[in-house]
Amino acid sequence: MLDQLGNGLLLGIIISVASVALSLLYGVTRIVNFAHGEIIALGAIATLFFSSPIDYRVLFLDKFSPLGLNFALSCILAVIICGLFGGLLELILFRPLRKGNVGNIAVLVVTIGLSIFIRHLYLLFATGKVQNFPLELQRRQTYLFFDMTPRNLKVLIAGILVMILIGLLLTYTKLGKAMRAVRDSEELSSVSGINSDNIILITWISSSMLAGLAGVFQAIINDVRWNMGFLILLLIFAGTVLGGIGTSFGAMVGGFIIGILVQVSVGLPFMEGHTEAKNAVALGIMIVILLFRPQGIFGQKERIS
Amino acid sequence: MSSNLLEVKNLKKSFGGLQAVDIKELKFKKNQLTSIIGPNGAGKTTFFDLISGFQTADSGDIFLNGDDISNSQPYQIARMGMIRTFQLTKVFDRMTVLENLMFSGSSVTNDSFTKSIINTKKQRNYEIELKDKSYEIMEDLNISHMADSYARELSGGQKKLLELARSIINNPETLLLDEPLAGVNPKLAEDLLDLIQKLASSGISILMVEHNIEAVMKISERIVVLSEGTLIADGSPNDIRNDQSVIEAYLGKDDE
Amino acid sequence: MSSLLISKRVLFAIAITSFSIYLVFLLNPEGALRILINLLTFAGIYGLSAIGLNVHFGWTGLLNFGHASFMGMGAYVTLLLMPHAAGREGEVTTTGFPIIIAVFVGIAAAALFGLLLGLPAIRLRGDYLAIVTIAAAEIFRLLVRDLESITGGVYGIISYTENLQKFRPEFINSLSLNYEFAPSQAWVGIIAWVSIILTLFLLKRLNSSPWGRALRAVREDEDAVRAMGKNAVWLKLQSFMLGAGIAGLSGVLLAFNYGSLETTVFVPLLTFYVWAIMILGGVGSLTGPIFGSIIFWVIISETDRLAYIFFENANGQQLAGFRFLLVGLLIMLLMIFRPSGLLGKKEELLLDVK
Repeated sequence: MLDQLGNGLLLGIIISVASVALSLLYGVTRIVNFAHGEIIALGAIATLFFSSPIDYRVLFLDKFSPLGLNFALSCILAVIICGLFGGLLELILFRPLRKGNVGNIAVLVVTIGLSIFIRHLYLLFATGKVQNFPLELQRRQTYLFFDMTPRNLKVLIAGILVMILIGLLLTYTKLGKAMRAVRDSEELSSVSGINSDNIILITWISSSMLAGLAGVFQAIINDVRWNMGFLILLLIFAGTVLGGIGTSFGAMVGGFIIGILVQVSVGLPFMEGHTEAKNAVALGIMIVILLFRPQGIFGQKERIS
Repeated sequence: MSSNLLEVKNLKKSFGGLQAVDIKELKFKKNQLTSIIGPNGAGKTTFFDLISGFQTADSGDIFLNGDDISNSQPYQIARMGMIRTFQLTKVFDRMTVLENLMFSGSSVTNDSFTKSIINTKKQRNYEIELKDKSYEIMEDLNISHMADSYARELSGGQKKLLELARSIINNPETLLLDEPLAGVNPKLAEDLLDLIQKLASSGISILMVEHNIEAVMKISERIVVLSEGTLIADGSPNDIRNDQSVIEAYLGKDDE
Repeated sequence: MSSLLISKRVLFAIAITSFSIYLVFLLNPEGALRILINLLTFAGIYGLSAIGLNVHFGWTGLLNFGHASFMGMGAYVTLLLMPHAAGREGEVTTTGFPIIIAVFVGIAAAALFGLLLGLPAIRLRGDYLAIVTIAAAEIFRLLVRDLESITGGVYGIISYTENLQKFRPEFINSLSLNYEFAPSQAWVGIIAWVSIILTLFLLKRLNSSPWGRALRAVREDEDAVRAMGKNAVWLKLQSFMLGAGIAGLSGVLLAFNYGSLETTVFVPLLTFYVWAIMILGGVGSLTGPIFGSIIFWVIISETDRLAYIFFENANGQQLAGFRFLLVGLLIMLLMIFRPSGLLGKKEELLLDVK
């Protein structure tokens, strides 16, 4: 079981970052964004495009050659692109819907349709094959009580630092407080002079940037696939639910726990020969939480039914 | 003990640090018309929610005709004969007035899934009787001309009448009326009051939360006063009219 | 209000559907009948499934995104109860129940699965229910895949179609010789559409019954329902079971249409197809799914043509991808611009999370 700990930590940081992103968005806009996975994938795909060597056949249609940029730069650019994409979605899709008083359920179904649409855009125009970043292979090393490659360790540390940074930003800055105010009540906060439209836009941008970062992490640790976001979407939901919907700190912790549980569960006796079912463990946990403690570990008790 | 209709002991409910209800003991007898009054935020509607099962108390006991209903579901309490109305009138918007009543008057067995598929002669006869009963009540309350209109087309006052009609169609033992006169024009308020009095004299026990003090004084046999979740006075209209603590509670609130 | 016997909306729906069918003949000079029968069979099966989903969402406001698992439950239980072959070795089971009984049990199993899932989940708020149903469907898929000894796992179940086809009437066989279509598929198609008609009769009856009235009241205001002494949760559960059972039947038919069954059939994308059809046909409308399904399948099957225009050397994966692209787009556009679809009524829609 312990030899999966390294994998667990890595999956944990991916889910954790992605869960915080989702939770941030849900907290402020009350939208469960099923297209979240596609923003995650965009981070990976964009990085792939920016960093792959020129003339590499990475994208379908062979119309665009990758840019061959420095890897770190590519990651940063990709994250920015994701932020812009999220902002665009808010401006041209979700804001009009919000202004048009479209019900929550309709918006949820729209995000599902959007997710199917974008994902298959990736399949058709980006990559139907499994791709990898142009990074050299590394060997796993042992650190303390887990194994992983040095690069992955850097990813883990970077992820943790980002989470701490986010936590500080949310708690101590004016912007963070404004976001939390809009989350608690859009009407009240607009009365107190906070422009909720701007806050929502900023939330979309930051949530998407975080999601993109999660995608970059996932691609470094694993690979780039057209449906990579969809594959972990349920786990992200599980992490957010476990930690407490609407609390970023909860999402952070919940995401990590889910990641670790999923990988570690592979070592459990009844899982032998059924390793692909490890996701089912996390999903089962999520269902149980929703039934008995829907507010998760850190969430506030709202009227759930 | 069991001769009391409703009994409440050490009932406590708080929301995030705010004590909404804290009542040591309160008993209600059968066949009485009792009003519950108090300044805003006194906990009146929370009290109603607690005894009708829509909220669960943090601690304490509630007894209906001797049975412990502290943890009962709203539908169970309703089946035991205690029906309530709501502060914000609840009618079934996209159903006709007639359907609103027929649904309410229909027994749980009549609503059964299997019965509805088979559509027995018994069910059909029951439905016919139900329809007649519904029309009777609609006529009593003067809304029979709206029988086939959708409930959402009704005026505020008519909706209140509908909600009331719905509540009495099954001859409940107890009626919990949550602000029945709220937002109603004076003429209709008079008619509603008459109606409530008639219901009381026909044997239904009534508990009424109301802000309209004049109306309360006019028809109540007993008045219970809540302030900030606790009981501060309990007696006949005359007693309450002259009770110093009641006056202070209302005045005090006005100062805020 | 319109004084026509049939409302304008219905006329429009019939017109568009007829046009779609005509389009099939237009675009397929050869083998049109074969394509049409194929299309109508799928349309019938998916239409039935959408009718079940409509009971969940249209009648009761429940967000069920795991519908495919109800279909799968019905299919697997039914097939396993009849003579079949399963698993990597193609292990043959020669004993079994008559098909009528197997189907009946399959439907009951799907309904029971609905009960199992619904008991804890139905009290949850809308968006949470959506997540739970997706998760449950995923667990179902994984379980089916891993319990290979029972379900045949990824190798699936085969050799079961004879159980149905042996009842196929002669006239279909003779017609198929003259008109060139697959008789086995036509038989499944006929049964699908007969099932739709019977189900619609049942639902119509329920809708105007005291039970249907109670369910409508639950949709309007649950608290008031409770205050009237009725158990709103149980009513919702019953509706959940009803829709699940209908889905189960459609799953059985889908299995018979394919001729073999394995784990790639009952997946989330199937659920999304059914959702698209339901929205297109009109949420809350009894007959909406029929029109939605036919039009949807015409769009889907003819878009392969479109795909070839865009991608000169489209491979299988790309074609499928193009279809799903359109489905996603369709769902989005419908929900944004015309959530009531063809036959739904806007006022009837429950578009807010309660």
